[in-house]
Amino acid sequence: MDTAADTLVARVEALEKSYGPIDNRVRALREVTLGIRRGEFTAIMGPSGSGKSTLMHIMAGLDSASAGRVWLGETEITSLADDALTVLRRRRVGFVFQSFNLVPTLDIEGNIVLPFELDGRRPSGSEREWIDRLVDSLGLRSRLRHRPHELSGGQQQRVAIARALATRPDLVFADEPTGNLDSRTSREVLALLATASREYGQSIAMVTHDPIAASYADRILFLADGRVVRDLGRSSAEQISTLMLGMERAL
Amino acid sequence: MTGFLREHAPSVLVASLSSAFGVAVLQFVGVIRQMLAADPVTGESGTVAVFLGIVGAVFIVIAVYVGAIVTVNTFATIIAGRTRTIALMRLIGSSARTQRRAVAREGVLVGLAGAVIGSLAGTLVSVTTVAIGSATGAIPSDVAYSFDGAELALPLAAVVLSTWLASWVGSRRVLTVSPMQATGAAGEQSREEASASRGRSVAAIVLFLLGDAVLGLAIVVGLVSPFAIFVGLIGGVISFTGLVLGAHLVMPSALRLVGRVLGRSAASRLAAENAVRYPERSTRTTIGLVIGITLVTMFAVALQGYQNLINQAQQNDPEYYAGIDPAFVTTIVVFSVLMGFSALIAAVGMVNNLSLSVLQRRRELGLLRALGFTARQVRAMITAESAQLTAASVLVGLVLGTFYGWAGVQSMFGSITGSPGVAVPALPLPFLAVVVVLAAVLTVAAAVGPSRRATRVPPVVALAVE
Repeated sequence: MDTAADTLVARVEALEKSYGPIDNRVRALREVTLGIRRGEFTAIMGPSGSGKSTLMHIMAGLDSASAGRVWLGETEITSLADDALTVLRRRRVGFVFQSFNLVPTLDIEGNIVLPFELDGRRPSGSEREWIDRLVDSLGLRSRLRHRPHELSGGQQQRVAIARALATRPDLVFADEPTGNLDSRTSREVLALLATASREYGQSIAMVTHDPIAASYADRILFLADGRVVRDLGRSSAEQISTLMLGMERAL
Repeated sequence: MTGFLREHAPSVLVASLSSAFGVAVLQFVGVIRQMLAADPVTGESGTVAVFLGIVGAVFIVIAVYVGAIVTVNTFATIIAGRTRTIALMRLIGSSARTQRRAVAREGVLVGLAGAVIGSLAGTLVSVTTVAIGSATGAIPSDVAYSFDGAELALPLAAVVLSTWLASWVGSRRVLTVSPMQATGAAGEQSREEASASRGRSVAAIVLFLLGDAVLGLAIVVGLVSPFAIFVGLIGGVISFTGLVLGAHLVMPSALRLVGRVLGRSAASRLAAENAVRYPERSTRTTIGLVIGITLVTMFAVALQGYQNLINQAQQNDPEYYAGIDPAFVTTIVVFSVLMGFSALIAAVGMVNNLSLSVLQRRRELGLLRALGFTARQVRAMITAESAQLTAASVLVGLVLGTFYGWAGVQSMFGSITGSPGVAVPALPLPFLAVVVVLAAVLTVAAAVGPSRRATRVPPVVALAVE
């Protein structure tokens, strides 16, 4: 595996994560080493309990590692204090969640510019242009003054995507972004993510257990029992399903 | 059981305060009566004892009423936080009525616990105060004071009954919980914020105006009889019930007004939005404090007005008021204690509501942390929210309290010998200063607990909360 820092936007080395009491330890991640390549749309797949969400949380600085090291770009985040991690998340990471997680008190525009506000500033001229472009390409122009609960699930997820892309972060983490959407809306959202990666060179790491979602990615990492078991290039949904079924049988 | 205690501790505290208050007031009135009876000067005139009896009764009614209102709000907040659990029970097959009855049963338990704790605490306060008073010579020590009496059962029964009633009223929302909300597909909070019905607003305005009319009547009757205070009490209760019912019409405007002053940082902007966007929730949070400030202001204004009236009456008719000084001082002391008391109820209500509302927003706060809000910013936001809530409540409370206090004094003392008739309401300045300082302290105190809890939870855990 290529671990050269300049092509990798994030990487983990010998990452361990365990939960629970000593006599009943659950090892969610076992010596995971991997890198997410810059500008790529990477899917992290695996059955429930494979540790994929834990991996994402640790890589995003939301959770701490039990052992091992984690980098975002050149920054090693394993040793960062809470405030530094917070600023890092604010400026260099974007999130798209399964349950949209928009702030209900803010209108759509307020939600999109929230990362700037949290940073105590307004978007600059060029950032403003970028946000306008995102708003138009995601079809949110007529919705800017609405509140999240007035929007459909698909529209809410578009808002979340706009928010995640607004700061041009190093890496966008998407946690089962289509988990709460119907299949047609899911395809739209996935196409949007793929476009963001292809056209704007946005690095995206998406956690999913859905083979169709993973088929939109440039690269697919398979996790099982806290370990990376396969590293695949672009694949069709059928190939991914077959592979997953094979893995299930092998367990 | 620990869950029950944690959830209901504030309500038990309120019920205890009301009962302790009722018991202590009755005991104090009893002690003062015994003291006056032993005193050769005032012993002959029954006027002071009658006035004290009236004042005692008025304050017990107010305490029980306020306790009930605070409990209604606390229960409503608890129910809002329990929506998921209730929905799950409904999904499994429990009827909404069964669910509501279970909540009302909790109300009875809370009331009983409060009555027991309160009667003990109240008696302790009375006995200790009298013991200290006797020892220091502030009150005659040659009288064997007794503290028991059948009338003590009245405030206790009133507390149990009113707490039960309050839990029933506060659990109204149980009926609107749909079993669907247990499936997790329901959107966050949007449902809770359904605006209050038009019928409620109309009822609120009608009650408020009707109550004010009765208060006006009491002021007029007060020029001839001190018993007008009971008319005034009824008017005040009706008018204030109208206000509490219609708080969603008043509080958001007050909050918006205060929010403008807060500044433009992300934390204070979010806080301002939080306080205004959910009129129901912020109204629930503020109403307890509005009640408290109204009460405290009412007492202060009433005390000041009473003093002014008595002073003027004394000038007009010096002989009649020759022996009034000791009773006067005692009354002032009693009033001051009462003030401290209602401030306590108010503070409990506010702290409790803010922390519950932060608890219910754990997921939202987790999201903000994930997106890059530092722990300090979260604390600043919660403090700003707390400040906004406090300031708005203080404003509304000061206005209301001044009106009620003035009306109370007028209806009770307007008819005393040598009274000048209708006096101008007076808001004592030192009192105003104390209120502002205490409001600032309360703002910080109310925010400390919730913000510490909110920032201690890792964002991952907060986001996982369903």
